[in-house]
Amino acid sequence: MTTDSTPAVALRMTGITKSFPGVMALQDVDLEINEGEVHAIVGENGAGKSTLMKILAGFYQPDKGQIEVGGRKATHWTPREARSRGIGMIYQELNLVPDLSVSENISLGAMPKRGPFVDYRAMNAKAEAVLRELDTDIDPGTRLGDLSISQQQLVEIAKVVARQPNVVVFDEPTSSLGDKETRVLFDVITKMRDRGIAIIYISHRLQEVMEIGDRVTVLRDGRHIETRDVAGITPDEMVSLMVGRDLNEMFPKFDLELGEQVLSIEGASRAGQFDNVTLDVRKHEIVGLAGLVGSGRTEVARALFGLDPLEEGTITLAGATVKIRSPRQAVAAGIALVPEDRKGQGIIPGLSVRENFTLPVITRLTNAMLIFLGKERKIVTELADRLKVNPPQVERPLNVFSGGNQQKVVLGKWLLSEPKLLILDEPTRGVDVGAKADIHHIIGEFAQDGGGVLMISSELPELLAVCDRIFVLHEGVIAGEISRADATEESVMRAATGQEVAA
Amino acid sequence: MNQLVAPAKSLDKSKTPGALFSTLSIPIAILVLVVIGSIASPSFLTVNNLTNVLNANSAVGLIALGMTFVMVTGGLADLSVPANVAMGALVTLGAQETMGTAPAALMGLLVASMGGVVNGLLIGYLRINPIIATLGTGSVLLGLSQLLVGGGIVYAQPSALSTFVKSSILGIPVFIWIFIFVALILHPLLARTSFGRWSLAVGGNYQAAQASAVPVRFTKAAAFAMTGFLAGLCGVLLALSNGQARPIIGTGYEFVAITAVVIGGTSVFGGNGSVLRTVGGVLITALIGNLIILLGFPSQATGLITGAIVLGAVGIDAYFRRKAGRL
Repeated sequence: MTTDSTPAVALRMTGITKSFPGVMALQDVDLEINEGEVHAIVGENGAGKSTLMKILAGFYQPDKGQIEVGGRKATHWTPREARSRGIGMIYQELNLVPDLSVSENISLGAMPKRGPFVDYRAMNAKAEAVLRELDTDIDPGTRLGDLSISQQQLVEIAKVVARQPNVVVFDEPTSSLGDKETRVLFDVITKMRDRGIAIIYISHRLQEVMEIGDRVTVLRDGRHIETRDVAGITPDEMVSLMVGRDLNEMFPKFDLELGEQVLSIEGASRAGQFDNVTLDVRKHEIVGLAGLVGSGRTEVARALFGLDPLEEGTITLAGATVKIRSPRQAVAAGIALVPEDRKGQGIIPGLSVRENFTLPVITRLTNAMLIFLGKERKIVTELADRLKVNPPQVERPLNVFSGGNQQKVVLGKWLLSEPKLLILDEPTRGVDVGAKADIHHIIGEFAQDGGGVLMISSELPELLAVCDRIFVLHEGVIAGEISRADATEESVMRAATGQEVAA
Repeated sequence: MNQLVAPAKSLDKSKTPGALFSTLSIPIAILVLVVIGSIASPSFLTVNNLTNVLNANSAVGLIALGMTFVMVTGGLADLSVPANVAMGALVTLGAQETMGTAPAALMGLLVASMGGVVNGLLIGYLRINPIIATLGTGSVLLGLSQLLVGGGIVYAQPSALSTFVKSSILGIPVFIWIFIFVALILHPLLARTSFGRWSLAVGGNYQAAQASAVPVRFTKAAAFAMTGFLAGLCGVLLALSNGQARPIIGTGYEFVAITAVVIGGTSVFGGNGSVLRTVGGVLITALIGNLIILLGFPSQATGLITGAIVLGAVGIDAYFRRKAGRL
């Protein structure tokens, strides 16, 4: 049936249906990936992307539907089977062992043997060949933990490529990468594609999809909406296909009179992390903290919140000097932090939305002994309503909610504590477009109500849209303070990469 | 009736068949055991037998109530329980002569609580693995108690307190009253107070709890201190009612307590659990033990059977957690 002009289909998934108790995760989804194409999959959180990929990887069994790899139908689809049929997965989180060498990591689980022993020479040769294929200069003998995150990711890719895959899935691969590292990654992906590997690329960053993708499939509510050539679609069109409506993504920027100082830090330092950082945030103000990955942004936020206390410097909050050595002191002083690592530090997965919401303020909702459950329920229901938590079922455990809704709960938890200063570390990472707009709205309202916001984001357009001022960190030092009027992607990037800026 | 039921249904979707089953599973299990028991032996369903069964399990039941907090906070288990039981018992009887029964009993409680506090400091504040820490404190304390009494038996002197401990109020033994009393305090402590919420949060996600201003170290330490206190209480009560105590008095109690907690459905991985369910777990283990004897199995089979039940319960828990992607 196939003619020479049509590319061979590397992977075909037809009629994939999967339901979980109470949720229809996927409904009759078709997906066809050609050899040598980068096929992007986009959709809001909860659209079914990850479920579909988990089915592809063999972790979930579909209720209905068929998987065909290289024209052969799959029967007993398990993770092992998926791997042996050439499906490779690269996740946001790396699956590597820091204490082993690069070549050991690449061969992990499939070490070349000579008799009962590992054949180190063959293993190194294999690693070197793969790394060269990917055009990297990583030494296979290096201890993995000594590499940067982006180099580690290349090792992860090398590990997958070494197994000679037919289809490789990249799941949000750039979320922890800076711009430069993203370039390197894209080069590698392009190389893999040119060798005929079918690439599935999942990302919330539509600009990346435009750049690297050949075709794009949009999923919404567990259904296949459309597959199109990237050349024939705009990001705006993608967004409206994803949300099923036209969405005004513009941040509603209120023009507010800035009030007195909420926060000022002077000469803040922590050895090896940041040095002599001085910055301030005023009432009604949203201040950005920009910088490349590893520039010390997250570390400043953690120090302000007492997770890794300052070694030097002073923190002044609403005019009073405070010492913050623990999150409890930070919360008591009126500081809240929405952490970068939502899963690890943000949510308590098994507790309900209600219990997550009120955790930091639970002592304020009690008489001498008992929690006022009625009062708690009332506050929480109102908050969930205001933040558009979906589904609005506050008694359900938080781990059944999508990432965007979990993030709303983390944000809401801190709004309840009525902080003076709200620190946000990548508040919209991995969050879908709709929830992102909601979150921006919540942040705007908080500032409008008189709070001060310090916001970290790797997405420059987001910072530019949201912030009144942007401080830029470069290698732990403040490299610039840029006003809203002067802030452009170029001016921020220049400061972030250590080039001089007129402050 | 429809008007009453309909809105509740639409608001609270957590009442799924699964959730309902897990709420009802304990009463159902108890019912099944009672039915089996009454078929198996005419002496099972008598006030006398049931009172005896409960009476015999109330002391160790106290420890299970404390162990619930240990597990909920992600503290795995307190293996120093036998040592703290022994400490409570031996100190009480040893000091009885010099200071009088009631002060001696208080002293016993204090010493056992100190053991619990040390566990709490090691585990909560120094973050030592609970199994290693409590194994260590347990053998230190047990060794200390053996040194004190030389492996022998300490006898009690008759006293008003021991007479009271052995008596009944309204036909129900004092042991059972104490168990009910402690359960009635600890259940709301876990389900309705800030401390309880902290316990669940610490066990559910330690780092996130810490970042939410929960006093994580205190919460974890308190669970162990509480278990030490309750193990001591168990020891004091046993010593006074038995009229004697040996260092091996609490041997195996840690496992009986763990069994009851796990059968009650509290997760060994932390983050959920309930004191009321542990009470159910205590009842179930007590009935199983009784049935083993009534059905004519050798009493040595108890360990085999309860052990298998624990492994089964933990296995089911792990299976469902993995399915929910939380392990």
